[in-house]
Amino acid sequence: MKLALLISICILIPFKILTKKNFEPHEFELNNGLKVIVLENKRAPVIAQMLWYDFGSGVEEKGKSGLAHFMEHLMFKGTRKFPENTYSNFISRIGGTENAFTSYDYTAYYQVFPKSQIKKIMEMEADRMTNLILTKKNVEIEKKVILEERFQRIESDPSSQLDESMKSILFPNHYYGRPIIGWKHEIEQLSYEDVIKFYKENYIPNNATLILSGDIDLPTAKVYAKRFFGRIKKGDKNKQIQTINPDFKSSVFVELFHPTVKQQIWKKLYRVNSYKSSIKKGIALDIGLKILASGSASLLYEKLVNEEKKFSAIGGYFQGLAKGSGFVYFYAIPANNIGLKKIDEIINVEISRILKKGIDIKRFEIEKKKYLFDSIYEMDGILNPAQIIGESIHSGLKVNELIRWNEILEDISIQDIEKELNKFHKNKNYVLGVLDS
Amino acid sequence: MKFFVTIFFIFFSFNTEAFEFKEITTKEGIKFWFVEDKSIPLVSLSFSLNGGAVNDKKNKDGTTNLMVSLLDEGTENFSSLDYKLALKDCGAKIYFSADREKIDGTFRVVSNQLQKGFWLLQEAVNFPKFDQNEMTKVKNQIEASIKIDQSDVSTIASDMFNKHFFLDKSFSRKIKGTIKSLKNISRKDIFESYKLNFNKNGLTIGIAGDIDEQNAKKYIDYVFGDLPENAKESKINFSKLNKGEKKHNIETPQATVIFGQKGLSRTDENYFAARIANYVLGGGSFQSRLYKEVREKRGLVYSISTYLLPYKNDGLILGAFQTRNETVRETIEQVKEQWDKILNKGITKKEFSEAKTYYKGSFSRNFTNTLSIANLLKIVQYYDLGNDYFKNRERIINNIKLKQVNNVASNFFKSDELFFVVVGKLKE
Repeated sequence: MKLALLISICILIPFKILTKKNFEPHEFELNNGLKVIVLENKRAPVIAQMLWYDFGSGVEEKGKSGLAHFMEHLMFKGTRKFPENTYSNFISRIGGTENAFTSYDYTAYYQVFPKSQIKKIMEMEADRMTNLILTKKNVEIEKKVILEERFQRIESDPSSQLDESMKSILFPNHYYGRPIIGWKHEIEQLSYEDVIKFYKENYIPNNATLILSGDIDLPTAKVYAKRFFGRIKKGDKNKQIQTINPDFKSSVFVELFHPTVKQQIWKKLYRVNSYKSSIKKGIALDIGLKILASGSASLLYEKLVNEEKKFSAIGGYFQGLAKGSGFVYFYAIPANNIGLKKIDEIINVEISRILKKGIDIKRFEIEKKKYLFDSIYEMDGILNPAQIIGESIHSGLKVNELIRWNEILEDISIQDIEKELNKFHKNKNYVLGVLDS
Repeated sequence: MKFFVTIFFIFFSFNTEAFEFKEITTKEGIKFWFVEDKSIPLVSLSFSLNGGAVNDKKNKDGTTNLMVSLLDEGTENFSSLDYKLALKDCGAKIYFSADREKIDGTFRVVSNQLQKGFWLLQEAVNFPKFDQNEMTKVKNQIEASIKIDQSDVSTIASDMFNKHFFLDKSFSRKIKGTIKSLKNISRKDIFESYKLNFNKNGLTIGIAGDIDEQNAKKYIDYVFGDLPENAKESKINFSKLNKGEKKHNIETPQATVIFGQKGLSRTDENYFAARIANYVLGGGSFQSRLYKEVREKRGLVYSISTYLLPYKNDGLILGAFQTRNETVRETIEQVKEQWDKILNKGITKKEFSEAKTYYKGSFSRNFTNTLSIANLLKIVQYYDLGNDYFKNRERIINNIKLKQVNNVASNFFKSDELFFVVVGKLKE
């Protein structure tokens, strides 16, 4: 992740919730196990279709990192009925847009298009779940593309290389330690046979959720989902194991020196519980960290940037959507080069001081209010709500938990927040990193 | 909490063929376009002001950008911190950015917090404090971001491109400025920049969301009504552009290449035809010729695309890709080949009709959220596309002939006018 991106994420806040009445998802399940969620919204004659698969890089065998992401690229290569790029060509021709993404815990494909085309789009999406045709040549060329992608995202960006190292250390016994895109040397070894095997084992209807958002009603969704996805045969779902990472007994730090780096950047990555283990504690930690470190009105920013001028920026956020552990990311840009441990000490001293003094009730109320307001913004669109639901349920949450999210929020007190922040402050499962020249 | 609002999606819907907006003039004489949309309790305002970074004084590059970055850092009635907390407290988001020929702003607020939200916007627009301490703080942040950019290959490439592509060096300057130029900017310069940009007559406004006409009028006057009328339009003319190639060596496993040539202004009668040609050449994501030839067939890149960058009086066509150092030459040759092909042979009937249906179908995607509606209302006004544009757009597209597109392509995509910047580890 680039720092610029990281900063913008800190400002935008990575995960926002849905207010109680903002959405009414309807759910049903086909006989073959495909789950369907419909979010009707007739604002514009447009539909967003997302097909979420309940696996990401986490299902890859040891030694085959990058396979899930590789497969995602290959899903655009066509089927017998819709060869080569018939599907993509159709989407463009009707003025639609499409893409796909792979994460640790999920893989998703989406299209946004005029509503009149839903039949054809759904037919083609269903078709590539089982009827993909791949040639060895496809696989070899696409491997080159993926290596270019890895070079673009990671090899030519020192900051991303540092992130990759820090994650691999923080999660020594879990797939979150392995890059989604794959290690370069392992991508190079992935074969046609690996791809075919991966496709057959994982691309099955009982491993997927179809989310339809926009100008589509439930009866229509039922008819088409049944017609196009209903005929696909159920498969055997791989049981995925969540291994637990050991608690750190030693402190760990990573330094990355690169000749092109002109600005020292400090980072700290913590392993923490995800929403899956407790939504309430997760929200409390999220709000607490927002008060502490999100944006230029945060407590750390106020003291260390505005007042003491030790840093030109500082920030942090919680990512709690995960089947395994979540993480907290902190970064700081020191005004003058200081050592990595010294930076950590300055920030720790300040957090201790803040927690000892206690959080101001006004700050707490403002941040809680903002949390609710932000959930309205999240509903302004059709792809975004589908994205939030998809990501949440593929991180181990249930739809009814999302509907109840703001009720849980209402229950959270300032004591809950202080408790979570204190626990976080004592957390020894972290990696320190610095980028320097 | 009392802000809870039930949202009924079903009561409101757009028919894009008959997209209805209102053209309104306020008491203070400010014109704006407006769509009332109660489907979600939010209001989005999108506006621009004539001026922009072309007006930065010599050796003071980055002035306009610094000025807009300071607008939410405190006003006469709010300290920087109080201002930011007040924004959070009413669910408002304010964002300003500097462009070459204008500055842009967006403002969004939850609709039962209009009064508070517009108050905060009004403060930023009319009474920014440009406090010396805040200025130092923001300068330090921009300086850090410039240093971070210096190790980012794609930013190095785009700086190199701007430096060498524009022979009129006023366009080579960085909107952000340089570490050196930032030091030269005084508080007085910031006030001057503010005065140059914030004028009633240079305003373009689009507003959409859960607000009625009376309130929209009232708040627009409240925010912008007291601004003076001293705006001058910044006319951009990229008269002299470089061609050929410029290389810059750095230690990296993958090179970044940026290329470009002269384009068309948004108001050019051939603009839409050029847009169709560009869609086929490199703009149409997975369908473009460059994507198919360079990525799909040869696996040379992860991404490659071209786009038109239009200004009011002139324009550019730009493109970029990243590829391994060893394959830079091959990929550049591919780009030139596609440039020659479209110039000599034009586009096929099939490509032509698919590009047209793309542009017709894609328009409705703009109507799925309030901010994109407000932006659209602003852009159509900004480029003077006419208040019948929404009605005419489909007809404009239908009336374009293949011959016209191919004529434009044959006058336009001249590979010997292309300029490439290559940043990578190069043996040649």
